[in-house]
Amino acid sequence: MGYLLSTVQSLWATLRQALHKPTTVEFPKVKRQRAPRIRASFALVREANGDEACIGCKKCEKVCPSEVITVVGTKKPSPITGKARGYAEDFTLNLQACIVCELCVQVCPTDAIIMVKEQEAPGFSRADLTLTMDKLYKNGETKERLAWSSATVLGEHQKPLEPPKPAPKPAAPAAEAPAAAPAPAAAASKPADAPKPAELAAPPAEAKPAPAADAPAPADKKGDA
Amino acid sequence: MAVTTEAVGPAPVVPTKHFVPDPYLDLEKYEADADLMTLSLGPQHPSTHGVFRVVLYLDGEIIVKAVPYCGYLHRGVEKLCEKLSYSNITPILDKNDYVSPMLNEQAANMAFEKLMNVEVPLRAKYLRTLLAELQRIASHLLWLGTFAMDLGGALGGGTSVFMYCFRERELILDLFEELTGCRFHYNTHHVGGNRHDIPPHWPKLVHEALDTIEGRLDAYLSMLEHPIFVDRTKGVGTIDAQLALELGLSGPLLRASGIDHDLRRDAPYHVYDQLDVQVAVESGGDCLARYKVRLAEIRESIRLSRLLVDNVPAGPLSSTKPLNMVTQFKAAAGQVYVGIETPRGELGTWLIASKDRPTSPYRMKIRPPSLHAVAAVPYVFPGHTLSDAIAILGSLDPIMGEVDR
Amino acid sequence: MSFTNPWLNGLVYGALLVTVLMTAVAFITWFERKFAGRVQSRMGPTMVGPFGLLQPIADALKAMQKESIVPRNADRLLYRLAPPLTIAFALGTAAVVPFAPGFLGADLDIGVLYALAFSGLLAFPTWIAGWASNNKYALLGGMRMVAQGISYEIPMVMAALVPVVLAGSLSMTGIVQHQVTSGWFVATPVGFAACLLFLTTALAEGNRIPFDIPEAESELVAGPTTEYNAIGWSIFAASEYAHSVVTSAIASALFLGGWDGWWNLPPAVWMVAKTIAVFLTITWVRWSLLRLRSDQLMALCWKYLVPGALLLVLIAGIQVSVRG
Repeated sequence: MGYLLSTVQSLWATLRQALHKPTTVEFPKVKRQRAPRIRASFALVREANGDEACIGCKKCEKVCPSEVITVVGTKKPSPITGKARGYAEDFTLNLQACIVCELCVQVCPTDAIIMVKEQEAPGFSRADLTLTMDKLYKNGETKERLAWSSATVLGEHQKPLEPPKPAPKPAAPAAEAPAAAPAPAAAASKPADAPKPAELAAPPAEAKPAPAADAPAPADKKGDA
Repeated sequence: MAVTTEAVGPAPVVPTKHFVPDPYLDLEKYEADADLMTLSLGPQHPSTHGVFRVVLYLDGEIIVKAVPYCGYLHRGVEKLCEKLSYSNITPILDKNDYVSPMLNEQAANMAFEKLMNVEVPLRAKYLRTLLAELQRIASHLLWLGTFAMDLGGALGGGTSVFMYCFRERELILDLFEELTGCRFHYNTHHVGGNRHDIPPHWPKLVHEALDTIEGRLDAYLSMLEHPIFVDRTKGVGTIDAQLALELGLSGPLLRASGIDHDLRRDAPYHVYDQLDVQVAVESGGDCLARYKVRLAEIRESIRLSRLLVDNVPAGPLSSTKPLNMVTQFKAAAGQVYVGIETPRGELGTWLIASKDRPTSPYRMKIRPPSLHAVAAVPYVFPGHTLSDAIAILGSLDPIMGEVDR
Repeated sequence: MSFTNPWLNGLVYGALLVTVLMTAVAFITWFERKFAGRVQSRMGPTMVGPFGLLQPIADALKAMQKESIVPRNADRLLYRLAPPLTIAFALGTAAVVPFAPGFLGADLDIGVLYALAFSGLLAFPTWIAGWASNNKYALLGGMRMVAQGISYEIPMVMAALVPVVLAGSLSMTGIVQHQVTSGWFVATPVGFAACLLFLTTALAEGNRIPFDIPEAESELVAGPTTEYNAIGWSIFAASEYAHSVVTSAIASALFLGGWDGWWNLPPAVWMVAKTIAVFLTITWVRWSLLRLRSDQLMALCWKYLVPGALLLVLIAGIQVSVRG
């Protein structure tokens, strides 16, 4: 009878599965290997000379669809270079409402806000999940936790042939060398120097097999299809 | 009143003489054998696929009338879109059809691009097509798992199939995690292209995942090709072609009722005009036909993904500058409608832009395919038993996130 | 080793049986969860105790400290009465199951009849629970349970009749003795078919998938036990497992030779091993198949199982009369 045969087949399918090693691991004793590009929490970084990278421009606050970022900007002379520049006097990120869309990272002009690869530990109060400026800078100190993407890196993905910006920001810490862009897994957590303008023309040859034939036409980006 | 169904054999459910497939049935005039029992398959129920309520009027075990109520998951997404700008609407729309977010993002961004006359580069079109097909596999796998659970029980064979399907789905979600950083709700599309480019080791991972899925699918499909499954789904919930057209069904529901219509082939977008999409059509219109159509779609999507991932052309990924402020994308006045083929049917975005609001839509209406599927409930439920009702609801595959928005 | 005084016999073995059986039920839930986990490509319980062995104890303790709520407008007496009745009937069936020669609660001459009658009684407390809960889902579940329970009694009794006819005795001990001398009934064609039939009907009686329509989780939330929480529900779950275990034991006694075995192992070990093997099969089927709908279930019983069982009894009768 078809019933019996199909039943035996179903039983065999499940038994065969039962004899294999299970797919799940015993979390949290064993943690699963996540992808290099994973985005979980946030960090504010400092520039190579120790100065805060955030200039308090509030672009991240405006772009956030869930309105979780609150920035109070100010202008004061830099303790490192002495020149007056914008700073964020207060920067709060409410992780409870964040939808991890990476838009704040995308718009940051100074690569100040970067994502972090590990989630914040669960907490017992709202304050535990509200990232204050201290927590954010503290997150930014552990370079290994920093995620792959920053505004510059994302910008390179989206516009690899763009001519270099006229004034590259000084040593945005988590921006990668363009040669490392093809291997984000390897270079994700290492800070690299600011991309040299000359190298930006070369990466398309490595990052994607975009032949140099594309390079002469950086002007007409639209209608490329 | 006797419902003649057979335990084995292909006989469909024969409706009783009292059965009237009229959603506007006047219960006062209905002659029941016993009192009618009102059962609320309420918003809290193990298998209503989200928060969805159906009030059933039961005569014994046969449903006489079914009245669906949706709206429990309404979050005002369309109104919210009027406040946000084109640059940051995408992550919000991920949450509409929350099992196939890639397609939601694509629908909205294609509407934005059409409105702003932005042409997407070829590489981005290929990548979008590939992501759409991978997402289709993942969505249908989720459907398969939950359908088996509806039929087979949360503590039984259905759960085994559910776990297997989710294990395969995790492979695809891992691929998305490698690409975008998120397993779910990626925000990887924007106006003019995509935001994340393919890592160099990704095509190999895609091939491995697809090979694994295809192999495992055959392995446990024997659990679903069982006569018990066939008896539970054959002849159950028949939607004939006329009703499907009247209700505005699309996607697998339409193709299972015999109408050969697939937006990927008939109104191609992205690079579907260069791909030969084999469309699966069944004529039964019952749950079994819908199952077969979706299973064929999984295999077809696996085939298309394999073709696409090897042939993504080089080039820029986006034709617009990277986002650097929220008011970057501005649109002139106008209105567009864009419809794409999601695993549930045609997801449409109707976008109206006005002159005095260049960076934000004036009105953004989303046409969810699941809403039309849910609208089929009062037509299809009567005449079936409660067990069938669960099976039918499972096979219609409504996602309440997009029904209610 | 049975006492001559039947009261003493019953008391001692009853207490022993209840203790052993309830402990077995607790750990059989662990076994089922582990097996289900492996079938579904995941690990079962692992946190509580080594390999999760203390999980049933944790579950029991958790259930005991919960507030047991009686719904408004529920029939309080019947609502409270249903769980103890279920476990009583499930355990009462075990009184006649022979775990070793003389090692049973009551060596009745009509042991098989007693066992089948008691296991058939299980439909009632569940039905009472469904009615008394004042909940439509529970009522539907209870009605389905009764319909299924009394329908599947018939092929179950007839399948159990086959070893009775072949052994010529209604006593469980007698049937096992017959198998010790003449070979297990499952090795004969008619015995094998009757064993399959018995197990199928045992699945139906115990509301196991593929016949678990009364407690169809995805439709009826939890069927007749929807409104039960805390210890009430735990008792229902325990009684379901106890019923399955006892039915497995009865099946091993009737068809698989009871305490018969090799290698000079104590007979009780064989009996326990066979019970576990049969229970493993029941669990295996549970995690592999989908659920039959109510009317398909009834059709299967009345159109296929009852005539098949009648045929098997006929064949067994002919076999016995031919052999003289």
